[in-house]
Amino acid sequence: MNGLMLASLLLPLLGFLLIFLSPNKEKKIAAISFWCSHAMGVAIVSLVVLWVKNDFPNHEFEWFTLYAADDYKFPILLYFDRISAVYLGCVWAIFSIIVKYCLVYLHRESGYKRFFLTIFSFVFGLNLVILSGSIDILFAGWEIVGMSSFLLIAFYRHRVQPVRNSLRAYTVYRFCDIGLLLGSWMSHLLFHESQHFSQLANLFNHASFPPAGYGSLLLLSTLIIIGASGKSAQFPFCFWLPRAMEGPTPSSAIFYGALSVHLGVFLLLRTDPIWSYHYLTRFLVFMIGLLTVVIASVSEKTQSNIKGQIAYASITQVGFMFIELSLGLDTLVLVHFLGNAFLRCYQLLVSPSIVAHLLRLEGSADTDFYINSKAKFSFLPVSIRNTLPEVLQNTLYVFSLQEGNLELVIRALVWEPLKRMGVAINNTNPWVKALFGLAGAMLILFAFEGVGVDRKYLSIPIAVGMVFASLSAFGQQNKPVSVWNAITLSSILAGIAVLFINPLAKLDVAIFLSGIIPAWLLGIIVLHKLLKNQDPSESLFTYQAMAETQPRLSLLLFISFLCLVGFPISPAFLGEDLLLSHATSHDPWFALPITIAFIINGIAGARVFQRLCMGRPTEICTEHRIITNEIKQSFKETQPHTIQGRN
Amino acid sequence: MLNEIEITVPLVSHGSAMQAKTVFDLDKAIDHIAHWLPAQGPIKDFIHHNTLHAVQHLPFHEGVALAGKMFGARSYLPMAHYQKMYRQGRIKDFAIGWALGRTGYSGKQLETIKQTLFEQDNLSHYSPVSLANHGIRNAWLIQLELELNVLVHPILFRLLGNFLDQGISRWTLPKEGECFWDCVMRLAQNSLLPLYPLQEPIVRELLSKESDHVIQICLEKIVGDSELYEQYLLEMLLAHPGWAGMVRIVEENPRSLLDPRKISLKELIAVELVCELAFLHKKKGVGFLSVASISLPKGTTLLKDGLPKPEVPLYLKVWHEAMEWSLHTELLAALKPQGITTPSAKVRPYVQAFFCIDDRECSLRRYLEQIDSGIETFGAAGFFGIDFLYQGLDDAYPVAQCPVIITPKHLIREVGQEAKPEGESKADAISHLHFKSHSVLRGWLYTQTLGLGYAARMAWDVFRPGSKLPKLKMLSEVDSHTQLHLLRENDTPTEDGYLLGFSYSEMADKVGGLLTNIGLTNHFSPLVVIVAHGSSSVNNPHFAAYDCGACSGKPGAPNARAFAWMANNEEVRKILYGRGIDIPGGTRFVAALHNTSRDEITYFDNHLLEQNPAEGLSDFQKTMETALQRNAHERCRWFELAPKSNSVNKAHDHVTARATSIFEPRPEYNHSNNLYCIVGRRKLTSDLFMDRRAFLHSYDPDKDAAGNIMVRILSAIIPVCGGINLEYLFSCIDNSVYGAGTKLPHNVIGLLGVANGVEGDLRTGLPQQMIEVHEPARLLIVAEQTCAILDKALANIGDLKEWLDNDWVRLVSCHPITKEQFLYNDGLWESINLPADLKTPTAVRSEDIFVGQTETIPVHQLIRSHS
Repeated sequence: MNGLMLASLLLPLLGFLLIFLSPNKEKKIAAISFWCSHAMGVAIVSLVVLWVKNDFPNHEFEWFTLYAADDYKFPILLYFDRISAVYLGCVWAIFSIIVKYCLVYLHRESGYKRFFLTIFSFVFGLNLVILSGSIDILFAGWEIVGMSSFLLIAFYRHRVQPVRNSLRAYTVYRFCDIGLLLGSWMSHLLFHESQHFSQLANLFNHASFPPAGYGSLLLLSTLIIIGASGKSAQFPFCFWLPRAMEGPTPSSAIFYGALSVHLGVFLLLRTDPIWSYHYLTRFLVFMIGLLTVVIASVSEKTQSNIKGQIAYASITQVGFMFIELSLGLDTLVLVHFLGNAFLRCYQLLVSPSIVAHLLRLEGSADTDFYINSKAKFSFLPVSIRNTLPEVLQNTLYVFSLQEGNLELVIRALVWEPLKRMGVAINNTNPWVKALFGLAGAMLILFAFEGVGVDRKYLSIPIAVGMVFASLSAFGQQNKPVSVWNAITLSSILAGIAVLFINPLAKLDVAIFLSGIIPAWLLGIIVLHKLLKNQDPSESLFTYQAMAETQPRLSLLLFISFLCLVGFPISPAFLGEDLLLSHATSHDPWFALPITIAFIINGIAGARVFQRLCMGRPTEICTEHRIITNEIKQSFKETQPHTIQGRN
Repeated sequence: MLNEIEITVPLVSHGSAMQAKTVFDLDKAIDHIAHWLPAQGPIKDFIHHNTLHAVQHLPFHEGVALAGKMFGARSYLPMAHYQKMYRQGRIKDFAIGWALGRTGYSGKQLETIKQTLFEQDNLSHYSPVSLANHGIRNAWLIQLELELNVLVHPILFRLLGNFLDQGISRWTLPKEGECFWDCVMRLAQNSLLPLYPLQEPIVRELLSKESDHVIQICLEKIVGDSELYEQYLLEMLLAHPGWAGMVRIVEENPRSLLDPRKISLKELIAVELVCELAFLHKKKGVGFLSVASISLPKGTTLLKDGLPKPEVPLYLKVWHEAMEWSLHTELLAALKPQGITTPSAKVRPYVQAFFCIDDRECSLRRYLEQIDSGIETFGAAGFFGIDFLYQGLDDAYPVAQCPVIITPKHLIREVGQEAKPEGESKADAISHLHFKSHSVLRGWLYTQTLGLGYAARMAWDVFRPGSKLPKLKMLSEVDSHTQLHLLRENDTPTEDGYLLGFSYSEMADKVGGLLTNIGLTNHFSPLVVIVAHGSSSVNNPHFAAYDCGACSGKPGAPNARAFAWMANNEEVRKILYGRGIDIPGGTRFVAALHNTSRDEITYFDNHLLEQNPAEGLSDFQKTMETALQRNAHERCRWFELAPKSNSVNKAHDHVTARATSIFEPRPEYNHSNNLYCIVGRRKLTSDLFMDRRAFLHSYDPDKDAAGNIMVRILSAIIPVCGGINLEYLFSCIDNSVYGAGTKLPHNVIGLLGVANGVEGDLRTGLPQQMIEVHEPARLLIVAEQTCAILDKALANIGDLKEWLDNDWVRLVSCHPITKEQFLYNDGLWESINLPADLKTPTAVRSEDIFVGQTETIPVHQLIRSHS
């Protein structure tokens, strides 16, 4: 069983690597994808069969320990139970269908290799999430899923809209990662060694001895719920899902119709013992579900495009799943998940048929969409519209049209203030900044010299500086080098602050910085090369399309970006976890600024990467024009004989 | 060349620029602007047209260059592409010489140009700096550092999409007869929730005013200088040409929508400007910089000084013309007498078959004639001369069955022979059950219970595509137990002003007209088959672009059925006899439909045949089956994923599976590689292998001394075939600007069109999957007629002459007897002298030519084996 679990987990990774190494030839990539998806299918099916044979055990497997230092351990933990079985089965079914579908559908598409690379990394991340045995591993998978989502939405990088929308989805993901990152840290804090999913249930077995206080459990649950609702596009994050439908149709089907959107449900199922322990959190989940159902079903009514309509239908069903979860109907949720995943996936795949289906008989596949003739306009909302006063009708329509105003609210509450702060910081004179920093440090220094305050409070101004550096990175997008510097500065300040809090954490900080510093260096070199020919006076406000003009450097910049934001390919990922869980065990307050800084760094980096590498290149210098001019000059005296009748 | 550069382009905006100093004339400006918008209607009927109709009044190369400068599109293929074709031998040296000769240079200069043709060039494939992307508006936005488009477009597109929606969203936005501006104002002013961003105080004051006035105020604030107004508006609309063009089409022709809407370009502009103003205030404060107050970067085009006068890139122009001439002369050489005498003692044909001129029928006709020399084929525009609106049994609305230039006056309905069993409609009762209701709770229940079934269904569709599911109703399975209601019983028009059916004399006009056009007025064989065509595909929003172009993107079956019925009618025949067309009593007309994607054929109105059996039909049907299979085999050479074996059965299975696979974005390649159009007797081309590249129209040069028939034919083929050709050409040359981009991320918006993602602009033109194997070259029309008669004809084709004079299509006259050829060049006929070594390759069977080939193939001469 262990072997099979590893096989199901690693086969997509193998596929990813093979495709990465193979030349950009369609036939080869098709063959690799085909065999890898089938091998994974065999592994998954035999895993499930074995599991059934063994009488449905909850199986845990510790592969190896990635890192261990005194009381801290980072084991690679895998876990398999009923929930994993259902999800994994669904992944197998949908993934193999989608791969078969795409082999033909993407035929001759210029991003063939890029597409298969991304969906293989997506499935790897997905399997990692599903098979994870602890929140840390789950978080790693979560990040991989988020990043491949980001790349697939921006698959058509020539156009601004996909690029913007991918950033939107990424921002929501990243924002909700605050929940998961803090959640994973808190679970370290609360359950110490026992953050294994396998042991979670036992912890809560004795109602009289909860593993932690109500307050901290409540906080932990809330954090997890935020993480879950972001990924599943639940209230108040519904708006990103329809806008994420920018990639090729099958990728939208697998991500946003079928699998990715149900990951929030998975997270809640996994951490069920933690949050269902308390009625308040159950109520919270219930309310999120209910609000989502109301808003999404109203928003769906005025979607005049087919993919948006399916997206909102899907969100509504996930909302129902949240409600079911809060009522403790786990089995029902699993059935519901399967039904919704397959249905939406199918609907998205055949969504182009809608025109033929609604307007014409011949050649239409049965898409299971209604015929919307006037006679059938007789259901509830319409009848409401016919009886309501006009003001309310209009209000309802505007509410539906603006999708519950959720995006406006989130923008106004979160995005805009952060951006304003960032801009304000950037507009401040650097000397003033330095002065303030120095003054703060002096003050504290004075405080602990004179009054005898603990040295570790020096970390407070450093933490503030760290957040400021992040905000500064966030506030500008036209100066890539300074963004890169600010991100690095923020990370280094994080390391220093941790040192002040816990001087013993030197090794942890070293691990963290060993991921950050090389990434920064790489980024600076690449940026220097990329911007070499750039006119310094020219604004970088427009998209520069360097992925097309300078593909190699762009790839390097992307890698640098990944490492800088702590993606699980760099030691910074482990370091991030270490800084959080180890160094802050005594000073919980520090977790908040450091998480916020990490999250904002990620978004700022992504923005700059997009500005530089995506977009459509335009004619930089026209060689013909130069040649034509040369010719014209060389024949200035001799006018060519005119052609007849032209003018 | 220099002449071409220096000529001044007629100034579209000139007049208004002069007046602007006094007062800005909004309506005039909107008319100028609308000229530049794409003219593609709702996606349900796809009408091919010249993508660059806006510059059609200019010579081809200048027009293309100007359009590139306006829209930011490439004008030619990348230089490397032409160079590759040269290395492959597809572009010939003599053609380069010919093209160089047309540049106006000579001597040493020519040598210099010729040398530079072969230099490397890696930059020309980037799109040019243009008005749409680098105009005053963009310069201004970059200085402001404000992405206004990103803010305004999603809101505007949502409003437009919901307003124009034809049936996707469940709540309709407009009230009965409400116009767009009123509708938006209703939402903005009379709702408890603000309509974002119209809640801004500055904008609220404006809302109660008329849209004209609002536009003036907004322009004053945003632009500032009335000389720049028109350019600003143009650039604003060119940032979303798809929606702007759609609004213009709906404004001018409300009937293009099934559910009509009242909207105008002016209202669109007003709403967009109001939104822009709101955002400018919100983001940049009251005193934001106006367009007039910024310093424009050097070289920014200003329309007030007239349209830009871009240079035509000389080398690309030479390469392109050389490529076209190489390809065109392949046909011209083959049309010359080859010295090979074909057996003239022809058997009297026992079957005559009419096909559409469509290039996809070219190969099928070749196979039919090769297999059985007793079959004679004719080509005519696929509506077979009968224009009407058609409403099938299950159709909710009547649709036009004729080229777009004709406005039909007659309505034809399909009626069932027997009463249809209840409930047997497209709403297959069971599969629709769970979606009839929109209630949230029921949705929940059904997802729970039935969702799992979709796993099986999806797997079935993806892994077993070829197998037919009962609920897929194919074109070829059209119920034939119906008949058309053709004969008009009384002359009162319907509510919409249409006549219900035709009178006998009208029928005779239509039938006689077509028969005269194709030159078939006597020697009818006992069986005449009228083969219309259509195409079946699944999961394809562009389905209409796959059907018959002469029927405005519909299958031509109703026309074929109508024609056969009329031509079989005794009354009609009597009238025709009086006009000199003698159809023998034993001749039967039979209607059929060729499904071009599945290569299948359906014969209609079998019940009529049972009463009057047609002689030789079963033999013809057998020959047709073989021909269709070989045709499928020939088509398979373009499909990379098709079986590479030589089995015709496998090939036929493959094309059938293709048309029913939900994951197949290319059910067929339609008109890809269309290049020639030949108007003449079939004898001229019957021995040629033209690689499915030719539109073939039958025409008898001996019966048209006045050129009147030629006028009729040219009036149909120039817009239809020329439109197809140019739409393919431009979609291919710049697929992301002139074309619709790749099909894969398309999302159907309001049943009107497709867009990328949920909030993108409507995409016009052809998707990449339709044009990827296309060789973009202009159409060559070869008319088998003397120059003198052609001149007479050209004098009577009206505005269409623009196409010829400006070289948007090329015309060659081929003398009916001597086969001498002359190229039409700006009103004059140039004699064509082909190099002596230009030989047309020969082969015995078509299969010998195409098997293993993956590129386009030159015209071959087929030598009939005398057995």
